[in-house]
Amino acid sequence: MSSRELVVLMKDIVKVYPDGTVALRGVNLELKRGEIHGLLGENGAGKTTLMKILSGLIKPTRGEIYVKGKKVSLKNPAHALSLGIGMVHQHLSLVPVFTAYENIVLGLKNMKPGKTEIEKLMDSTGLKVPLDEVTENLSLGVRQRIEILKMLLRNVDVLILDEPTTNLSPIETRELFKSLRSLKEQGKTIVLITHKIREILEITDRVTVLRKGRVVGSVETNNTNSRELARMMVGREVILEIDKPPVRVGEVALEIEDLHVMSDVGGEAVKGVSFDVRYGEIFGIAGVEGNGQVELAEAIAGIRRVLKGRILLGGKDVTQLSTRERYSMGLSYIPEDRRIALAMDMSVAENSVLTRIIYDKTLVNKMGFLSFNEILRQAMKLVKEFDIVISTFSSPVRTLSGGNQQKLVVGRELSREPSVILAVQPTRGLDVGATEYIRRLLVKMRNKGKAVLLISSDLDEVMGLSDRMAVMYNGRFTGIVDPRKVTEEEVGLMMGGYSIEEIRHEVN
Amino acid sequence: MSASVKLEYVSYIGNVLLALITGLAIGAIIISWGGYDPISAYRGLFETSLNIADPYYLAMTLSYATPLMLTAATFAISARAGVFNIGAEGQVFMGALGAVVVASLKLPDQLYLPMALLLGILMGALWGLIAGLFKVLRNVNEVVVTIMLNWIAYWIVEYARIYVYYDRYRPEKTISMPRSGVLPVLVPGSELSASFIIALIVTIIIYLVLWRTRLGYSIRVVGIGLKTAKYAGINPGLTMLYVFIIGGMISGLAGALEICGRPPTYAITTGASNIAGLGFAGISVSLLGLNHPIFIIPASIIIGALNAGSRGMQIRAGVPLEMVKAVQGLIVIALAVPGFTYMLRKWRIRKALRGETGD
Repeated sequence: MSSRELVVLMKDIVKVYPDGTVALRGVNLELKRGEIHGLLGENGAGKTTLMKILSGLIKPTRGEIYVKGKKVSLKNPAHALSLGIGMVHQHLSLVPVFTAYENIVLGLKNMKPGKTEIEKLMDSTGLKVPLDEVTENLSLGVRQRIEILKMLLRNVDVLILDEPTTNLSPIETRELFKSLRSLKEQGKTIVLITHKIREILEITDRVTVLRKGRVVGSVETNNTNSRELARMMVGREVILEIDKPPVRVGEVALEIEDLHVMSDVGGEAVKGVSFDVRYGEIFGIAGVEGNGQVELAEAIAGIRRVLKGRILLGGKDVTQLSTRERYSMGLSYIPEDRRIALAMDMSVAENSVLTRIIYDKTLVNKMGFLSFNEILRQAMKLVKEFDIVISTFSSPVRTLSGGNQQKLVVGRELSREPSVILAVQPTRGLDVGATEYIRRLLVKMRNKGKAVLLISSDLDEVMGLSDRMAVMYNGRFTGIVDPRKVTEEEVGLMMGGYSIEEIRHEVN
Repeated sequence: MSASVKLEYVSYIGNVLLALITGLAIGAIIISWGGYDPISAYRGLFETSLNIADPYYLAMTLSYATPLMLTAATFAISARAGVFNIGAEGQVFMGALGAVVVASLKLPDQLYLPMALLLGILMGALWGLIAGLFKVLRNVNEVVVTIMLNWIAYWIVEYARIYVYYDRYRPEKTISMPRSGVLPVLVPGSELSASFIIALIVTIIIYLVLWRTRLGYSIRVVGIGLKTAKYAGINPGLTMLYVFIIGGMISGLAGALEICGRPPTYAITTGASNIAGLGFAGISVSLLGLNHPIFIIPASIIIGALNAGSRGMQIRAGVPLEMVKAVQGLIVIALAVPGFTYMLRKWRIRKALRGETGD
């Protein structure tokens, strides 16, 4: 295989985003003709950034790109396309009211291929699409085929697919892989971005593993196995040590029974999850983002509709209750995105009561007006207790730094005297100091006897803080384990779609 | 108010002044192109609107500002909830019709005024509610619904004016409000009545609702982001519905006040000409006032002055009515531009924050 011709060579690619985030720290990648190349890694490993650079969508800060031996400087996606490189993004970009045919030929300037020509292409690749159907009536799997056909008609040699199986059913996935194999036979190079180890093993010829903007290794798929890939993907790092006295668990605080939750794109994002969280413990949920964690949290908070199953808060069934009622019963919720948790154009003072305003009667005086004194007192308490840096209490929250915004959210939610704390990605995007501060706060709440449900894609965080943890994959739990009695390799495999039973069974 | 916010307002006022000068300058070109003297035209405009020496002209300015203040408040409270409600026009029609209906009834003298205002408010609220239900239950774009409702209201009023509530002795207008149901005139001889004071109080109440109540807080959170509102436990649909109803009430009141508080006719005239356009003018006023109830008060007086002064331009400089209207429209548009871009920028920032625009 090594004798095969090199189609793309990326050398020492560095990407620093304008806000200072370093996405890639010197990455080398080789793509050969007629291979399926897997790009494996966790969230934020830099897989998508690397491929956006190759498809001309963003420019690298440093580094060289060679296409078929010639050094190129990609100006835009059209330029990359003219060199035979095309990318199908995770979020498809089709015109919903156009027919499949219209979408396929959209933007082709010179001669538009006829339907018979496209049908010939569909036959040879197995990518079947009803050409006269309006796109919005088609399933996500079919829409993806339309995107791939679009690329093929533009004669790409290198086809990049970003997490193509995320929204596909198992049958659709199998069909997609069959088509990818036949494309490979025709000499196309396919790059498959994924975090699913199974898929890597099933379909790729070679795999490059990225971690935190670096290449951990590039191997022939035949010479590796799931364990090695899991280890490469997750890696070993210094886990933040936080003193945790032994857990003194109490009653069940939050109980989830066979919960099914709708996703935004149709279908189920959560496909039957059951667990409970007790007072005095931190229950962690790990997993690669986009496997139903956010939807699960939103269902628990009452923001997203539950299709099936029950949610019990302090023993009471709250499945049909509003967010307001759940908050007033002692649920606190730190969402994954502080731009949701804060009204950015409103003041620091007003934001300090955002989740209390709808149920807390102490904020309203006898005249029915909001009590400014009470709101200001609350804001002052938060600023002092959680060490939040602000200019004035009336300045808009958007003027605060990200870390201070997050402290305001976390402080607000923890000071509401909650009994159950639902924290999703509570330290994302924060510096080391703020991260440690917030993690200590969560442990403190646990020690005070609160029930904490921590959902995070940061594995160190979940493993370091949780008393029990689950790994979520494709809307289900692949297992609930004790984080002290599980290896990172096992967690990595669980994140990649293997259940804990399968993993342990394999050992014996 | 933090320093940066204050600075923002200062720069905004600078932009408005620049827009005013630009509008006046382009207007001057049009006036001289028509063969008239722009200096004397503008002198006529200002001497018959913002002339401190003569209370009559000032009173006329304030009387024109009255309905605009209210229709602007309708737009402003909706914009605060992120709703582009341009239904004030139709709600004014319905409110005026409500007052005329009361005027046609046989009632004890002291009941005419409260009943007229009440029915006007209710009919405006009904018109707002219909738009709100379409938006909230079926997610129909509010611009489309309110424009259609504006036309429906217009033709209902026209039908009622011609066939039902016409004045037997002067059939070109409807029945007038009986003397006992009329608001007192503040400056004798002018059109300024106590309705100005009512409008002022209502606008201040809207300010208090927006910034001092739980409902107002919810409205502003909904306007900032639906996801944030849901996260805070606020029901965005219900909040928007309240906004449509409150907006309808305010504009309905504006319509009723035009019947109860504008001499000399106290009625709807031919083609509903005396109440047409008030709702749309309110949008410019609200934009000029940055959709803030307190800033709307001076903004409505500025636009009111342009209306009041248009007669002076005609009479004193001999500029024909059509040209006066063109120049007036030009200045209004120029004045609304800074506020409009300001709002767009805020909305664009918000959309970007919500992740609705590209990376």
